[in-house]
Amino acid sequence: MLELDDELMQRFQKGDQEAFDLLVRRHHKPLINFIARFTGDKDNAEDLAQETFIRIYKAADRYTQGRARFKTWMYLIAKNLCKNELRNRSRRERFRTDNVIPNNRNSDAENEEIDLIASAPADTSFQPEVAIQRKELNKAVQEAIANLPEQYRLPLILRDIQGLSYDEVSEILELKSGTTKSRINRARLMLKNKLQPFRELI
Amino acid sequence: MNCLQAEKNFSAHFEDALDYQTLKRFDAHLTECAECQKEYDRFCESIIASQELPQIEPSPFFMATLQQRLISEKRESLSFWERISRRFKMPRWTLSGATVLLLVAATVTFMFRNDIFNQDNTSPISTRPNISQPEDSNNRQLIPSDVEFAVPSIDSSQQIQQNYTLKQVSYTTFSTSGGL
Repeated sequence: MLELDDELMQRFQKGDQEAFDLLVRRHHKPLINFIARFTGDKDNAEDLAQETFIRIYKAADRYTQGRARFKTWMYLIAKNLCKNELRNRSRRERFRTDNVIPNNRNSDAENEEIDLIASAPADTSFQPEVAIQRKELNKAVQEAIANLPEQYRLPLILRDIQGLSYDEVSEILELKSGTTKSRINRARLMLKNKLQPFRELI
Repeated sequence: MNCLQAEKNFSAHFEDALDYQTLKRFDAHLTECAECQKEYDRFCESIIASQELPQIEPSPFFMATLQQRLISEKRESLSFWERISRRFKMPRWTLSGATVLLLVAATVTFMFRNDIFNQDNTSPISTRPNISQPEDSNNRQLIPSDVEFAVPSIDSSQQIQQNYTLKQVSYTTFSTSGGL
């Protein structure tokens, strides 16, 4: 039977390194996906995911069972790291735009990044036309999500892409259940409007 | 139910989370309002499109890199004593004991070298000012004229003057050979 995260965490707190490895193996893929969607940066996502696990490793003593589930705790740490990363990135970009003659390299790089995230192995049929359309749609969706304001982007990713429950999303975002629900609804409406020009692809 | 109320219930309807009464009113509104029906369909399609985004595959070196980072983090977070004891492969108490022994040995050596144990009962602390003083032709040390002394209160100035004179005599009369 599959061991629960809390049980693995308990074993790790007692010094069982293998339990920590199991936790990492179980959660690293969804965590990398969450970080890549939230920050829009696939290359840096693995780094941030590793940083999250290092923080968990270091703070394992402080983890108390029952207060929060392991998954929500992990996402909470990742969310804070991502927010810091986005803040630093916008500061760097502001500095760059203040000091460098503007060019289109940034937007090109961003497009490439979105392209990379959108073109991750997907379950497409072998028809090349369908595959291209699917890739286009994924790119549009990823772009639309990336352009949502942070307070709407985060709940949408957690709920619709990561598949977390409303309670888990509320816990991670430290919001009341009603606020979370209305933000998710608002985020979905915004996404719908942003995808309007790509209607024929859907 | 109007269009605005219907829009607020889009998510709940998509997730089958509406209560029976609201569900009935929502469905009735969508049957009547073609625009809301169209918007709701688009709403559902965009959610499905976001849910179907492909998963990003982590690099095959993720675990190995994480292990490496954890090892270096652990090394950095070790205290000075832990790092030393790991380096010399000794328990921490052994190192602490060895350090104390070394300190004691160094102190004892220092005391013997300065011949502290062979001094008479006089105070080991020198009261002489640490100034190289000039000597006259009879090897008598002279107090430099520009040495300033704290000005005593008027009542005790006489006595201090006497002490100062006595000290001057003792310095000039006896050779102290480095001690008192």
